[in-house]
Amino acid sequence: MEDILFYIFAAGTLLSAFLMVASRNPVNSAMFLIVSFVGIAALFVMLESYFLAVIQVLVYAGAVVVLFLFIIMLLDVEDSDKIRPKIFTIVAGGLAFALLAIGVLGLFASGAGGPEPELPMRTAASLSRNFGYQLFTKYMLPFQMIGFLLLAAMVGVIYISKKGPTASSDEPEKE
Amino acid sequence: MNDRLAIYSEMAQENSWLSILPEISLGVLALLLLVLEMTLPKERQGLILRLALFGQVVILLAGVVFSSLFGVATEHTSFNGLLMHSVRGDVMRLFFLLCSLLVCHLGHQYASRRGLPQVEFIHLVLIVTAGLMLLAQSHNFILLFVALETVTVGFYILVSYSRGSLYSLEAGLKYLILGAFSSAILLFGIVLLYGAGGNPQLPGSSGDPMNFALLGSFIEANPDNILVLAGTVLVLCGVAFKIGAVPFQIWIPDVYQGAPIPVTAFLAVASKAGGFIVLIILVQGPFAPLERVLVPMLGAIAILTILFGNLGALSQKNVKRLMGLSGIAHAGYMLLGIVASFQVPWAANAVVFYLFTYLLASFAIFGVMNNMGPLEDGDMTLDDFKDLARKNPYNAAVLAIGLGSLAGIPPLAGFIGKLLIFIAAFKAGLYGLLGVAVIGVVLSIYYYFGWILEVYFWPSLVKAESEETIEPSGPGLIPAANSHRIVLGCLTAGTLILGFYQGALSYLL
Repeated sequence: MEDILFYIFAAGTLLSAFLMVASRNPVNSAMFLIVSFVGIAALFVMLESYFLAVIQVLVYAGAVVVLFLFIIMLLDVEDSDKIRPKIFTIVAGGLAFALLAIGVLGLFASGAGGPEPELPMRTAASLSRNFGYQLFTKYMLPFQMIGFLLLAAMVGVIYISKKGPTASSDEPEKE
Repeated sequence: MNDRLAIYSEMAQENSWLSILPEISLGVLALLLLVLEMTLPKERQGLILRLALFGQVVILLAGVVFSSLFGVATEHTSFNGLLMHSVRGDVMRLFFLLCSLLVCHLGHQYASRRGLPQVEFIHLVLIVTAGLMLLAQSHNFILLFVALETVTVGFYILVSYSRGSLYSLEAGLKYLILGAFSSAILLFGIVLLYGAGGNPQLPGSSGDPMNFALLGSFIEANPDNILVLAGTVLVLCGVAFKIGAVPFQIWIPDVYQGAPIPVTAFLAVASKAGGFIVLIILVQGPFAPLERVLVPMLGAIAILTILFGNLGALSQKNVKRLMGLSGIAHAGYMLLGIVASFQVPWAANAVVFYLFTYLLASFAIFGVMNNMGPLEDGDMTLDDFKDLARKNPYNAAVLAIGLGSLAGIPPLAGFIGKLLIFIAAFKAGLYGLLGVAVIGVVLSIYYYFGWILEVYFWPSLVKAESEETIEPSGPGLIPAANSHRIVLGCLTAGTLILGFYQGALSYLL
């Protein structure tokens, strides 16, 4: 039963991820991204990591994709249908995919990626308390640094997007 | 439950915040700048810049005085193994502080000429510097990744800082997309290593495989594990992007061209140094047992990097692209030092010395570039430097000494840096690599001296072609403040002094 569910969710995640890249309409892409994220959340549930699953849905499928949709609507992209990938891009992408596939198959053929026996759980990842303890003791320093990272990002967004007298008057035409 | 709480409180005890006081001071200074900008009246805003520069000087001096350079140097970890304090880490902290000071100085000059806001610039530079300083001491993949992202996010904004310029915005977008791509590769590698290192079925596994020491002993026990090899290669790919090594060098010319000059200097020196210090930490730490795989891989990358950088720079007329491409070549020489460090342990210190010489020479050159040329600096070519020697002999001399040092001309610091790395490579028996590096140096003399030729011998070059005297028609120099002359003078003096006397840094070797 669990195996079947795993295959269903994994296939759904992969398929929607592929459709997200291949889809011509950006709004459709964002929708497929949500499906993909929900599939990953389902995989987390099967690993008994309920907290991660909830975060995955709340933050990624909820907040992040909604933000994407806002921006797509604001930009009002119309010409995206006309942009076709070049032959060179398709060939290069196909080649990269083939190389990766050979690598992964080689991994399985060598037995290194083979089925591993089930392992006992170290700490219950379902409890948000465990994350909290780690975050505020051992990983306090990276936690504080992320605060500065977000501040820098915020200052940057405000700086780059704010309206005002642009500095350089002799703006060149980009060839 | 209580005993678990006891463990956690013990962990919290290990967070020795005092040991990262310089980084905390930088962060506080960055916050203070934003607050002061909001509260101070318009006419007193000049105070903020003075405070920023003065604060950094104080932190730098305090860093020199209280660093482990003069005390008994002992390597120890803190923050539950997140950080590793070592002499090399302390040296690199001072290196990054020095970079930050110079970038703030150049940035002040650059921004006031173009009417760009300055406080945000310095704020971002300070946060990036704090991130780089923590990167130099990282001993854990989580800290490493967070520090690297802090640095990279800051750079995304700094690259597109000149937001009226299309070049700058385009460079920012390119850097954002490729930077995110490389971060993803790095993260994927870390995850593979974490998954393999945490597997209790394998010998040497541990509960915290993010820790470099524990990961190192795990890799030593399983040097042939496929996941370990794949993870290592992916992590090194992510780092190779930061240092601009082939095949991850493609972003460098465009981004260097588009970024404002101070940011180009910051990228060229500090971001590259950050990548190299991470590489040294990884190669001498957890990845040391993989010598069999890494020496051929890094060696091949070094050869390609040296050749690509030098050949690309040969026909380049745009000075910022030229600096970018020649910077790729310098990354190649330093990679040679990294490859040698598997056999000759002091080769890693030779790389650090090389970084210092690169800092002095690069900032001198970018400082001169900042002094002149059109407002849209993305278009600055060698032609803008025509006859600089007659128009401004001081800047011309600074430029010539800087270029000579980068080319590796004997009495200058760059020569000693290259010599140390080449000796290390010779001792490690990397004769093929050494040959390629020497060819690279010979090629580099061509384009560096072509630049010097433009500066010093332009009139005679023209006269050889036609007898009439042609006045150079490039935009003139901007009268530079005395402070700028002093900074350039100090950088040049540093290049000269390090060329003759290396005692100051000899404890590294």
